[in-house]
Amino acid sequence: MLTSFQIQALLVAALWTAGLSLIAFSLGGAVGLLIAVMRVSANRVLRAISFTYIQIVQGTPLLVQMMLAFFGLSILGFSIEPFTAASAAMVIYSSAYFGEIWRGGILAVPKTQWEAAECLALHPFQRFWLIIVPQGLRISTPPTVGFMVQIVKNTSLASVIGVAELTYTSKLINNSTFQPFTVFSLVAVLYFCMCYPLAWWSRKLEDKLNVAHR
Amino acid sequence: MNIRNLTLAALTAVGLVAAAGASADTLGDIRERGAINVGIDLGQAPFGMVDGSMKQVGSDVETAKALAEGLGVKLNVVTVAPANRIPFLMTGKVDVVVASFSITEERKKQVDFSKPYAVSEVVVATTGGLALSGPADLAGRQVAVTRASTNDSLITDALKADNVDASIVRYDDNAMTTNAVLSGQQDVYVVAQSLLVPINEANPSRKIEPQFVLRTYPLAVGLRKNEPELKAWLDTWVTENLANGKLNGIYETFHHAKLPDVIPDA
Repeated sequence: MLTSFQIQALLVAALWTAGLSLIAFSLGGAVGLLIAVMRVSANRVLRAISFTYIQIVQGTPLLVQMMLAFFGLSILGFSIEPFTAASAAMVIYSSAYFGEIWRGGILAVPKTQWEAAECLALHPFQRFWLIIVPQGLRISTPPTVGFMVQIVKNTSLASVIGVAELTYTSKLINNSTFQPFTVFSLVAVLYFCMCYPLAWWSRKLEDKLNVAHR
Repeated sequence: MNIRNLTLAALTAVGLVAAAGASADTLGDIRERGAINVGIDLGQAPFGMVDGSMKQVGSDVETAKALAEGLGVKLNVVTVAPANRIPFLMTGKVDVVVASFSITEERKKQVDFSKPYAVSEVVVATTGGLALSGPADLAGRQVAVTRASTNDSLITDALKADNVDASIVRYDDNAMTTNAVLSGQQDVYVVAQSLLVPINEANPSRKIEPQFVLRTYPLAVGLRKNEPELKAWLDTWVTENLANGKLNGIYETFHHAKLPDVIPDA
């Protein structure tokens, strides 16, 4: 059996995983929203910038982004903590995906909604933020939450640069105790405890935002 | 896995270019800082591991402690993994690695090694008191090994060289191979001798006993290239502490085996 110290270490590691995920949700979400707006912007330059950003980020593995953030920056002479590097990589990675998911949501809102908003004499800014975005968000809730669950699980890649998150700590304990079943069952339960509330929240959100079809 | 290796190779190459030329004085930096950053792999029992109270223990941990003591500086342990040991070293995240790091020609192109301070022995081990004295005794037997590991190529080559007709059963990782042997699927196991200590401690009822050594790998402290002062200091330190029995004592405590009288250089 595991000692209380080992279980405690796993719980602390779960907090690092949760922390890394929350940073990716909040900062990645903020940057992602900006990217989504740029992608549907009327300005060609903004569209091109955001398109390139998404292509580069989606076209490279998160593992490589982590290592670039950690080792790459050190080669250039910047000293960076593993957790900072992992956070930066998670934010960049999640922002590109959030951006693309939300662009899809925004574009899926029927064009007639824009026209109706215009008939109500709403300013273009109001049309976008008050009419289109709320509807777009409802459409993109399932993929957004699905991706958030992916983020939680992908934080495990931070172990390659030495962040003592859940997967890393579990490997450490397993390699010392040789009790893979006990260790990884506990780890699976911990990941589930982090991911299930997201799925539950997604269902609540879909119900709440589903005003038009009630 | 391939992507990871490729990236590491690329990053290491960039690091090499960045590090080339300048002969740095890491030894001076360590003394000035009053602390040495040592990369240790804590996932390699019994070289580096965590105990029941999550304290870092193992022969590499003790060696690093002795090393820091010898330098008269504080020890900062940085945990590394087999795949990122060289990048951590090349990018200056650690001053040296004491991480069950065996000397190979391939690695010599990228980093420097001190004189070897310990060994990693690949052995053929058996359960149930089966006695073997060499590869020839394996004829007609099933041999368990972890797929694509160094152990796998060693036993494959050894059997081929002696033209022995044994069947090799390959599993995906050490834990699986160990489970297969413990559960009696095979009674011959090609494995790092050091790994048997914690396995036997966890499973006292079915001991896996080493029979003969297949190959001995020298383990050394890894450092960046162009560090003549640090290398000279490490070489002297290793030689002295092998002579006075300190390194041997550390090895014996954790590996329950003696170091060979002469550690091969490669």
